[in-house]
Order: sequence, then structure tokens, then C-alpha cells
Amino acid sequence: MLGKLIYENLQKYGFPYPLDKKICSGWAKDIPKNGPTIIYTSCMHQTASLSDVYSRFIPYAEKLSSLSFLGKFIKPKKEELDRAYLVLNKIANLLKKNGIEFGYLYEDEPYSGAILLELGYLDEFKSHAKQVYEFFKNRGVKKIITVDPHTHNALTRYSEFIQFDIEVVNYLELIKDAKGVTNDTFVIHDSCLYSRFLGLRDSYRNIINKSGIKIVEDELVTGKDTSYCCGSPIKPINPELSEKIAKARAEQLTRLSKNVLVVCPMCYANLSKYAENIKDLAEVIE
Amino acid sequence: MSWDIAIQRTINNNVPRVYKILKEHPYILDLAKSLREAKMKVLSNLEEYIEQTLESVKRTGGNAYFVKDANEAKEIVGKIVGKGKTVVMGKSMVAYELGIRKYLKSLGNEVWETDLGEFLIQLSDEPPSHIIAPAIHMTKESVAKLLKEKLGFDVSENSTHEELVRKVREFLRNKFLSADVGITGANAVAADVGSIVLVENEGNIRMSTVVPPIHIAIAGVEKIVPTLQDAMNEALVQAAYAGLYPPTYVNVTSGPSSTGDIEMKRVSPAHGPKEFHLILVDNGRIKASKDEILREALLCIRCGRCHLHCPIYRVLDGSWGDPPYSGPMGAMWSYILNKDSKPAMYCTHSGNCKEVCPMKINIPKVLEYIKYLGNKSA
Repeated sequence: MLGKLIYENLQKYGFPYPLDKKICSGWAKDIPKNGPTIIYTSCMHQTASLSDVYSRFIPYAEKLSSLSFLGKFIKPKKEELDRAYLVLNKIANLLKKNGIEFGYLYEDEPYSGAILLELGYLDEFKSHAKQVYEFFKNRGVKKIITVDPHTHNALTRYSEFIQFDIEVVNYLELIKDAKGVTNDTFVIHDSCLYSRFLGLRDSYRNIINKSGIKIVEDELVTGKDTSYCCGSPIKPINPELSEKIAKARAEQLTRLSKNVLVVCPMCYANLSKYAENIKDLAEVIE
Repeated sequence: MSWDIAIQRTINNNVPRVYKILKEHPYILDLAKSLREAKMKVLSNLEEYIEQTLESVKRTGGNAYFVKDANEAKEIVGKIVGKGKTVVMGKSMVAYELGIRKYLKSLGNEVWETDLGEFLIQLSDEPPSHIIAPAIHMTKESVAKLLKEKLGFDVSENSTHEELVRKVREFLRNKFLSADVGITGANAVAADVGSIVLVENEGNIRMSTVVPPIHIAIAGVEKIVPTLQDAMNEALVQAAYAGLYPPTYVNVTSGPSSTGDIEMKRVSPAHGPKEFHLILVDNGRIKASKDEILREALLCIRCGRCHLHCPIYRVLDGSWGDPPYSGPMGAMWSYILNKDSKPAMYCTHSGNCKEVCPMKINIPKVLEYIKYLGNKSA
């Protein structure tokens, strides 16, 4: 069972699959360790580019006695990791510029459990959430700043499963002022979770509009109830279907503009194969 | 490739039209809201409403039955129809779910689907690809080819939409007139008075319910609403969210036809059917109604809007879900009817479906729960 395998990996490696945790923390240099308010990456930006590789292993994973060897040789490509680190640093700088103080847990940072929730392994998600909550409590964490939609979704749903009293806020809610660093016109690929589940669709649209970046909208492509998924969440179940959705979505978007703007690392990973000029929001504002 | 073209044309034709309808007739939103409340009232107490409905139908002079599954439904329909008869069917997804058409044919009856899309599905022997436009996957050119091959119609790939429809109309006209039995579904069933309400645009349902001497309606028990007013609302809301508003026809049937025109003595039949039968179908619905999360799926009014906003349906060539149910609603219904959780596993929680659902069903949440149930039993 995939859920059991993921849960076991979470116990062994602190991540859904074997991973050198230095990859997760390598982006941060001068952020204080711990603190009542923390920036929380759940290692999503850093590992998004690996989702293709690991989804190909899933059909065989249950037959292998150990996956630990995978963690030793599967690493993100240098340019992909550098880019993810740049995005995280830019998000951290945007927060600082907006007067937010925060710490970071570095290699101790746990994984949110998002993949268990999204694949419907709700019992495993609940057990994992309990462990994550206790860990945060022991570290004295009072407020968590999330930087991607999957983690934000998982954390804001903890209270449906466990008693959870830590404040969760997304970085998009904290950035009041940012200016654009590009003159290009973009089409926004909305994050399904931010846009239709977490009420943050206007947060990033407001940031973009205030930043002076020009965007192009089309009711049937970027509307609240018409903008499609990037295909990423289905990857562990059916990689081919995931690719088909990504390709169809990229075609829709690039008909409006060759420049695509995303707000989620998984969307970036899946769509960047089919849309050449694609940027995370953090890459085009400062 | 043919699917990509067909679905893109459908989305471009339909999605903006629904936006326009809802903007021009904002009262539809109020009707949808009160319909959700009315349906929820029934689903929270389904067995009692089934009893009430059966009694109400009998009061109108009709016959009413409650069946647990496909076998019980087939037995009753088979007894009413018999063999060697001509049967016309007005698109009923529940009849498809139960396998009624093929069963009646196996008994030696001539059976014709009369909804144009369903007629094409019957000819091609393919599963329907959309809940209200079952032949959505066929282009005009492939329809012409099918009609020529299967029925020898004098049509070609250059035939117009109008020519193709005219040929089918000419063919089916005689079937309506010679039919012994008409079988339909029901958009809604009014528990208080035992009426069924059907909404349509082709006129095939009006003919199927009035011309043959016997009318059988087959409906899932979740189609019961408390009153005839709720049932009329369901017809209007379904039509608006399907993008066809105002609907060309709304049909109310309350028992067999009758007249009181001679000395005001009420006698039956008059011009319409002499017999009316309503078959209410469980097939897993009652069990689902007792589960707080699955109950939501039973609110579905089959408008087909969620399909056109779903990325998975879009790329899976219309074959997502256990026929005849497809798309996001089909992924829910595959589990309710067949305990099949596989379609739910494909949900990417894109969430468009919940935004556009007239009954405000949180479809991704229901599918997340079905994933959970499926994972647990794996």
C-alpha cells in the first residue's frame, strides 16, 4: 500500500521518500534557528523537481525491501536546486522587507504530510499531523509562515483531524508591498488550492497588480472556475495522465502569453516542461 | 484528436452560455439554494419519503414500486412490457444503470432510445460520455458515418447538422406512433402528490410519456423532493445549469390520462396512457444517504456542469467513471453504485467542480473520502 510506504518513509527519513535533508536546508544562511515564528518550507520548493523521478519508482517501491539507496544518488539537478534556493531566498527577503521577523528549523524541519492527505490516506495523515504538532510545540513554535499551497492546505486542515492551536499564515498574506522586476506581460496559472480552497486567489492577484506587472486574463482560461490543474497531484497515481494535463494546460496558457506566472513549486515543476518562459511569483517581484 | 475537438467546441458553446443564463436570471440561484435544502430534507429521512411517494402515486391511479437493485427492476419492467412489443425510451440514465434496454431486447422487444444523443449511443454501442449530452465525443462527421453504416441513411460527411437530425426524426416518428410502451426517467418526483417532472428540449420525452398506452418512469430514490413545487424548481435549475434556459418542455405526469368531460365523471384513460408506473430504485442510494459525506453526492441534479470544468474529464476522453456516470459526479457515483473507488483516485482536487455545482456539493471532499475508503479496503 502506497500510504503505508510513504508513512514508513516519513518515520525513517522525515520525508515521503529517502532524501539527504541538507538539500532542504541548503538555501538558508543567515536566518535564526528556531523562534516563535518560523518560515516553513516542508522541503517542497527544494524537491519539486524530483517528483517525476520518484513517481516512476512507485510501481516497484513496494517490492523493494529498502529505498534508502535512492536517497544517496537521487538529487535535484544543480540548476534546479539553485533556482529553488533563489525563490526561497527571495520570499524570505520579501518577508523581511515587509517587517516580518522569523526563524527557520533548518534540517530539523518536518514534512507536512500533504501527500498523505491528497492521496486519501487520512488515518496516516492524522498520525503524522500529531507528530508534527508535538514537534512544533516542543520547539516553542507559535506561528508558521507557509510558502507553498500544498503545505498551507495540509496545515490549515490539521484541526479537522487533531487538536491544533498554532497560527498558520501564508507569505502571500504578509506581503503588502513589492515591485515588479520585469516589463513582460504574464498569464497567471492559478494554484488550485490557493485559488479555490484557501481563499488566496485575490492575495497574489493584488500583489501582482500593485507591483505593476502586466497580466492577461481570459474568462475560459484564467477564471476562478475554469483555470485547470497543472496535473501534479495525480503524478504518483498515473504519471502519463499527469503529463497529459500539464501539456493541455500549458497549451491553454501559452496561447494567451508565452510568459507564465505560477505561485506553486509543483505547478512550476510540471508546467516548465511544456512552457518555456515560466516564473514563480517570487522571481519577478522584490 | 476527435475528442479534443468535440470537447473544446462543447466548452466554448456551453460554459459562457451558463454564465449568461445565471446573470440574466439571478432568481435561479435562489431556487438552487432552496432546492438543496429541500433535497437534504428528503435525504436525511429517505425511507419515510419513499413510503410517502409510493402512496401518493397510488392515489393518482398509478402503480408504484420500490426496487433494491437491477434484478428487481428488470423483473418488474419485464412483467409490464412482456415480449414482442415496441418500446421507446426517453433518455434515462437510471435505465442505463440497470441495463433495462438490453434486457428488454433480450426478451424479444424492439427498443429504441429516442433522445438523439442516446440514440447515437445505442447505434454505436458505446458508453455515454456525458450525463446530459451522451454522444458529446462524436463529431458531426462521425455521426453521419454511423447513421449511414447502421441504418443505411442517405447521408455523408458533408451533411449538415439539420439534415442529420431530420433523418433521425423521420426514422423515430413511426416508432413513437407504433410504440406499446414509453420508458423515461424523472428529473424529480414529488412526494406530496406523486407527480414526476421531466425537463427536455427535443420533444421526445413528451411523446414517449403521452403517445404509447403505457408509461413507465424509472427514478433513483434520491430524485424524490418534498413537494411538486420543489420538483418544478429542480427542472428549472437543472435546465439553467445545463445551459438550456428556458427549457423547451417541462412535463408533469401524475398518474394515467383521464377526462371528466362527460357529465364530469372522471374516467381513465383519455388520449394519453392508460397505465402509469413509477419504479423507485435504491441500488446503494439508501446506504449512501446514511453517510454524512456520501449523502452530498445524492444531491446531484445531473446538469453536467462539473464535467466541463474538470481537467481530468477533459483529458480522459470522456471515459472517466463507470457508465453511464462520468466526470466528477460520475467518480462519486461509481462508488455509490458499484463500490468502485478507482475513478475517485484520479481526482486532482482542482476544485472547479465545487465552484460550479448548483447544489454546492463539495465534490473534491467527497472524492477524498472515497479515496480514503478505497485505500482502507485495498
